Amino acid sequence: MRKTTFPAVLTTFLVCAAFWLLLTWSVATEELIAGGVVSLLAALFAGRFFIHEKAGWFFNPAKFFVGLFYWICVFPIELIKANCSMAGLVLGGCKKVKPGIVKIPVDLKSDYGQAALANSITLTPGTITMEIAEEGEQTYYYVHWIKAESDGAEAGEAIKGRMEKWIRRFWQ
Amino acid sequence: MMKTDLIVFAVLFAALAAVSLIRLIKGPTSADRMVAADAADILICCAMVLFAMYSGRGIYLDIAIIGALLGIVDTMLVGRFLEKGRRE
Amino acid sequence: MALRIVIDVLLAVGAFFALVGVLGILRMPDTFCRMQASTCVNTMGVIGLTLGALLYAIFLKQDVGSAVKIGVIGLLILITNPIGAHSIAKGAYKAGIRPDAPMETDDLGRDSE
Repeated sequence: MRKTTFPAVLTTFLVCAAFWLLLTWSVATEELIAGGVVSLLAALFAGRFFIHEKAGWFFNPAKFFVGLFYWICVFPIELIKANCSMAGLVLGGCKKVKPGIVKIPVDLKSDYGQAALANSITLTPGTITMEIAEEGEQTYYYVHWIKAESDGAEAGEAIKGRMEKWIRRFWQ
Repeated sequence: MMKTDLIVFAVLFAALAAVSLIRLIKGPTSADRMVAADAADILICCAMVLFAMYSGRGIYLDIAIIGALLGIVDTMLVGRFLEKGRRE
Repeated sequence: MALRIVIDVLLAVGAFFALVGVLGILRMPDTFCRMQASTCVNTMGVIGLTLGALLYAIFLKQDVGSAVKIGVIGLLILITNPIGAHSIAKGAYKAGIRPDAPMETDDLGRDSE
């Protein structure tokens, strides 16, 4: 059981209140009070699951803009390439699939970085992260790949591409 | 102002959702059914966004947000059940 | 007029990738490949539709509240979708669902024995 810390509660409260404002889209006093009470309750219960590392990177402008650049410019290009190859595979009759589960090494330390890389891999069509295993210092992903042509580190290069290098710049 | 293209695309998305229900009916395993249901859920959300733009009523956008939120909840529910539910 | 063409092109891109995803769900040979195809619906389909509807709401309808809500819908689907895909793929593998034809390489099955 993790402990509930004050920064976690504050961050969760701010996110919940912003989402409430988006949904209601009004600044009447009653709605603000109700939203504040509900957000505070949600933050007290769920804050310890939402933030459990030092999340101060958000206020570091250099890392913030590198992250923004990754999510806006670098990642969509990978996404479009993977989507086009998937479209060719499906419209060509689904005959050329070679499914397989490969094990690739990953060199990221923090939890947020590993989660971001796993979600990036899952979000590109053609690869799904299935399991994360830690053997000593090294972290491994088990990835289901629809064109399993190689194995080990070579498959890791083909799957991760430029994504891991960019994520390491802002989430070590 | 011409709005015909919006309703054409909305009907197209809804028809795609209906087509993906074929896999929901005949899929051999429960994972197949869940994948098809998830795709149908998201396509219906997309159609609802376009219909909100077409008809000018904002209530459909709220329904689309709730649909997207509940879609992830039931997908994770079935996933966790498949992972741990069959222990003797 | 040019804006209408841009919006229609974005919506058509979204509809095309949604069609590809649904066709993949229907035609792919085994369970995990169907999951891969359904990712097409949730990424490019949703991105194309969100951008098109966002442009329409901002410039033609001039309704900022609707535009913000459309952006939230798109972001929400994009953030939550990989979690569901990961959960259901792992669950299907743990429940003993395997493709009919044996896979090329199966490192997870080899290591968990």
